[in-house]
Amino acid sequence: MNKVKGSSWHILLIIICLVLLLPVVFMVSNSFKTLQDSYHSMLQIIPLHPTFSNYSTLGKQVDLLRLIWNTFFMATLVTLGKIVTGLLAAYAFKYFTFKGKKWLYFIFVSTIFVPFTVVMIPNYLVISKANLLNSALGVALPQLCDATGIMLFLKAMDKIPSSLIEAVHIDGIPSYKILKDIVVPILRPSIISIGAIFFINSWNEYVWPTLILKDKSSFTLPLALQNYISSEGGTNFPLAMALSTIMIIVPLLIYLIFQRYILNSISSSGLK
Amino acid sequence: MSNEVALELKEVTKKYKKTNVISKMDLQIKNGEFLVLLGPSGCGKSTTLRMIAGLEKPSSGQILIDGQDAEKISSMERNLAMVFQDYALYPNMTVYQNLEYALKVHKVKKEERQQRLAKILETLNLTEYQDRLPGELSGGQKQRVALGRGMAKQSKIFLLDEPLSNIDVQLREKARDEIQTLHEENQQTIVYVTHDQLEAMALGDRIAIINDGKIQMIDTPDNIYNHPANLFVAQFVGTPQINILEVDVQTTQLVYAEYPVLTNSARLAKLSVPSGQLYLGIRPEHVVVKCKQESASELPAQVEAVIDYGRYQQLTLKLEEKQVLKAIITNNNFKIGDIVYASLAEDKILLFDHKGKNNLES
Repeated sequence: MNKVKGSSWHILLIIICLVLLLPVVFMVSNSFKTLQDSYHSMLQIIPLHPTFSNYSTLGKQVDLLRLIWNTFFMATLVTLGKIVTGLLAAYAFKYFTFKGKKWLYFIFVSTIFVPFTVVMIPNYLVISKANLLNSALGVALPQLCDATGIMLFLKAMDKIPSSLIEAVHIDGIPSYKILKDIVVPILRPSIISIGAIFFINSWNEYVWPTLILKDKSSFTLPLALQNYISSEGGTNFPLAMALSTIMIIVPLLIYLIFQRYILNSISSSGLK
Repeated sequence: MSNEVALELKEVTKKYKKTNVISKMDLQIKNGEFLVLLGPSGCGKSTTLRMIAGLEKPSSGQILIDGQDAEKISSMERNLAMVFQDYALYPNMTVYQNLEYALKVHKVKKEERQQRLAKILETLNLTEYQDRLPGELSGGQKQRVALGRGMAKQSKIFLLDEPLSNIDVQLREKARDEIQTLHEENQQTIVYVTHDQLEAMALGDRIAIINDGKIQMIDTPDNIYNHPANLFVAQFVGTPQINILEVDVQTTQLVYAEYPVLTNSARLAKLSVPSGQLYLGIRPEHVVVKCKQESASELPAQVEAVIDYGRYQQLTLKLEEKQVLKAIITNNNFKIGDIVYASLAEDKILLFDHKGKNNLES
């Protein structure tokens, strides 16, 4: 009975895996097809006439390294900003006592429920007034602090026994050193996994950067990709798929490098 | 010098919401003294320690460290070290780094650090573990690291919050001896919190027994045991617990049921309790058990249980009206169900007043 139950679960999981993997396989395989083949045999997994031409065409049409760098720089800026401000704020909420702490935290967390579309226009106005259009900083600035991050770091800090912090206090260690020498090293796995998720979200970001980045030289990968699937750039699927394939390389690398931490902290914190 | 006060609590009160955890506590700890705060859980002993450490603020009253108001000096200037019940070792640092960290932050020179730590690691038998992380140590080793970290600071006052409660019984005795040796060598002022009376008796120069946020008695282990200030102290200290009997005062003697258990009229005269009832306390080792009645003061009883500890036996005797009397004897020839006669060593009898439960003779 148990075996039957187990294997039926396995079948379900295999189906889910296939469903999740299919678009990726489709993307990679089409990136090696000619334009013609991609229309005639779009669902064919192994390309009939495999070709690298899409990648070389891409290389001629856009500055790939620049695109990757732009995206990487922006995502790194956002990630670092969210980690630093998140850790500092969480530390204050956790270990300092001050008037209005509960209210302040409540206000911070409630910003999670403000839809992006609501703040999109005010943010745009501020950024354009500050002359930050077309710059990575313009994209990153409104995102340097994030209530989700504060919440997640605060949750992670709950796991540090309070006696540990008290012990350092008695030893007369200043707060910034406690944060740097004790809290951050202990939270390293959580910081890495939360950071990885911030990074990937930012890497994939599309709507907000389209508002800020108008100049092609400042484009990030998702914006460049849009050129190949919008009416403006025609509908060259193999090219778009080639660019998509390039786009997933960095997140994939990050995942591979940090997967130990990411898997651990996802399973232990219930973080999605 | 040695009689100078290192630490003083003046009418210290601590309230959480509206309940008093500590009420108007006065306490003086001398330089170099080993003071144990002993009490049941929730009595406020840890809170007292945490207030001394500066982790909690008193709701009212004053704590003086070396004559200075503690509130005005930061925890760093308080010059104290603390060992926590769960050790609170920094999990990301090796044993050596754990000991070194505070010194490094406070800019103690490297040679001095190395010298100090080498000696401490040696004393605590930790030298070979100095590069390990706390996660790789056993409970006893962690406890020693915690102790070492406190020692490394060479602070004047050393606070220990139930440092031995998380280690095995066998190791505990050894660790207890270690703490005692360290105190003898370094002559630090130590405030030590525990709920374990044996630990308190073994370690303390003086013991402060705390209950309901008040100090019930503060004295040497000997006085605490033999001359408890009140019924609580008498019952809290000593295993098995002291026997308590309700006795009637008659002009020249104290009577339990119809047996005159105390006939020393001079002693009674001093008590100035003309009549009424008293609580009589007698420790189990001062109850003599006999097979035959030899005098009218001996209480007839039935043996209800015998526990043989090898070195001695513990008898549970049932007197009239369900009153139980425990006795510790060394001649093992009683069996369950035997009818015996218990005589109470008169000079060891303690007397407490019925109302306030205070010792009438202290």
